[in-house]
Amino acid sequence: MDLPVHVQLDLHRRMVRIRLFEEAAGRLAESNRLPGFLHLYVGEEAVAAGVCGALNDDDHITSTHRGHGHLVAKGGDFNRMMAELMGKATGYCKGKGGSMHISDTSLGMLGANGIVGAGSPIAVGAAFANRYRGRGQVAVAFFGDGSTNIGAFHEAANMACALHLPIVFACENNEYGEFTPRDKTMAITDIVDRAAGYGMPGVIVDGMDVIAVHEATVEAVERARTGGGPSLIEAKTYRFYNHHGVQNLGLKYRSDDEVAMWKQRDPIFTLEDRMIENKAATRDQFDAIWAELRADIDAAIAFADESPYPTPDQIMVGVYTSMSGAN
Amino acid sequence: MSTVGIIVNPNAGKDIRRLVTPATHTSDVTKVGIVRRAIVAAAEAGATRILLMPDRHRLAERAAEGLGLDGRDGRCSVEIVDEPLSGSRYDTIAAARRFWKEQAGAVIALGGDGTSRDVALGWPDAPLIAISTGTNNVYPSAIDGTSAGAAAALVAAGHVDITVVGRRSKRVTVRIDDVVVDGDKERPVSRDDLALVDLAFIDAQFVGARAVRDPNTVRAVIAAVATPASTGLSSIAGRVHPVDRWDDTGVLIRLGHGGRRVRVPLAPGSFTTLDIAEVRPLALGESVEIAGKCVLAFDGERDVPVSERGRVTARVDKSGPLLIDVDATLIIAARDRRFDEKQTTTPDPEADGAPHGH
Repeated sequence: MDLPVHVQLDLHRRMVRIRLFEEAAGRLAESNRLPGFLHLYVGEEAVAAGVCGALNDDDHITSTHRGHGHLVAKGGDFNRMMAELMGKATGYCKGKGGSMHISDTSLGMLGANGIVGAGSPIAVGAAFANRYRGRGQVAVAFFGDGSTNIGAFHEAANMACALHLPIVFACENNEYGEFTPRDKTMAITDIVDRAAGYGMPGVIVDGMDVIAVHEATVEAVERARTGGGPSLIEAKTYRFYNHHGVQNLGLKYRSDDEVAMWKQRDPIFTLEDRMIENKAATRDQFDAIWAELRADIDAAIAFADESPYPTPDQIMVGVYTSMSGAN
Repeated sequence: MSTVGIIVNPNAGKDIRRLVTPATHTSDVTKVGIVRRAIVAAAEAGATRILLMPDRHRLAERAAEGLGLDGRDGRCSVEIVDEPLSGSRYDTIAAARRFWKEQAGAVIALGGDGTSRDVALGWPDAPLIAISTGTNNVYPSAIDGTSAGAAAALVAAGHVDITVVGRRSKRVTVRIDDVVVDGDKERPVSRDDLALVDLAFIDAQFVGARAVRDPNTVRAVIAAVATPASTGLSSIAGRVHPVDRWDDTGVLIRLGHGGRRVRVPLAPGSFTTLDIAEVRPLALGESVEIAGKCVLAFDGERDVPVSERGRVTARVDKSGPLLIDVDATLIIAARDRRFDEKQTTTPDPEADGAPHGH
């Protein structure tokens, strides 16, 4: 059985939401309306959408410095996201976290993370708690290829496997750690080769194909939820923009041909073409979805623009926890 | 000049089936080791030139590293051929074509059934040793690189006659006629393709993660090889109508009710029950036409979507690669004393009056 059309449309919608949010954020950053660094997820939408589309609302994810896409795919609210990026008091972190700490625990999104590799141990903690509480929830750790060179990833993978936890390690291998090609920092090409060393299965999927990512995640999540333990999915993907921002520093560490080649495999347009061929949707239908979500983005920008900045008396509020409210 | 070409598919043995079944993961390190053993053995057995397929994983480069096989002073040369890289199966097809052009005497290909299929697409008559590093491997075999390298070199050098140790394998030759829509216009499209083991018609809309995992989506299978000792789609036919690699027949099965019900290992270590509506032996060259919307799976992997107006014509014939029998090659070479040192006899320790010792 193929995926039902409503699931295909759901995956498409998640990808378009990410694309439009990121394109808008990029434009705002270029015009100096967003403070701080901005790591855009454009090009990698199939990974977040394919993975999060296979999760329940109460499943957990941890994210990376390139984290907007993960929150959007988990159902993040445009208004609160855009306000957070603009540093406004109505944002997810009341304007104090910004792009790299954006989170929504009510959606199971435990946070973007400015420290490369730091998300995986948090996901292991969530997976441990989920098993301990016996609620059948699963945790997913999103991470990049570069973070697998960092100790935190290895400790997380080892502990998850040793304790047989309900977790999926979702690697977004976009071939570059910041500005450095993968082959300059590791002797292996496939991150999945690391999985066996910890005793978990690992698979490679086409990260530009949301259906492929979703198929693999459904299996991995089912395995985790039913006591099968951890697994690793390596999605081969690519970011269309630079490491941060749109223009970045103007550094030429990737050839124009390479970028153009990957853009030809745009995950959203590929899915749209296939669904139209399959008569599962029409061009008009897709145009309407884009228009509807563009309006949502415009509304979110207006909301964020009109929102106040946090006042000085709030500077220490919500920064530390007493643990009394932890749940 | 005795030239051996080596192809290693970096993507083999890493797909989704490792999540749903206990299929083997084949790491890059494992592949590099096999290729390195093949290079050393081929040089040892008389290859003067070894050509390697370039790959984005740099497996070829790592396999040849430090061996000192640079073609100087009578040594064998190892070269990574200069071909543009796509990071996809087209690298295998291009390398096979290049080896053909370079008049390689034998090709070693590491991968699964799909890798051997790609070799055949690039070089239909390739003299081939196919080493299994994939998932459901019917066409390739579990052969160590050392034996494969030696056999390839012996054949390439002409020390063992390819007409004696090479056998023409079968394939499923496929023609797809379809219609594509470009905006408001329609145009007919046709393409030729092939499978070395099986062609399956899958009720699906997407290629997705490629592997065929849902048995209920399999509509029909045309198999050139169908052995009950295999896993995967060809094992469906293999369990009701076995067809050996060398039999001059093929088989068509259609899934559906009204016939036999069999247990089938659709993936390694994973069994399912299937209803077989029709089993039809196929003579070589006998044409089968199946129309309608599906995704075609070649050698176990979803690959080509066909529209509801598409028509697929397929036949099993004997035009696959020339498979080299590694055991037979090495036995002939041994009988011909090909492995003897140039100094052909062992020195007799008593000949110079030396005392016997431990």
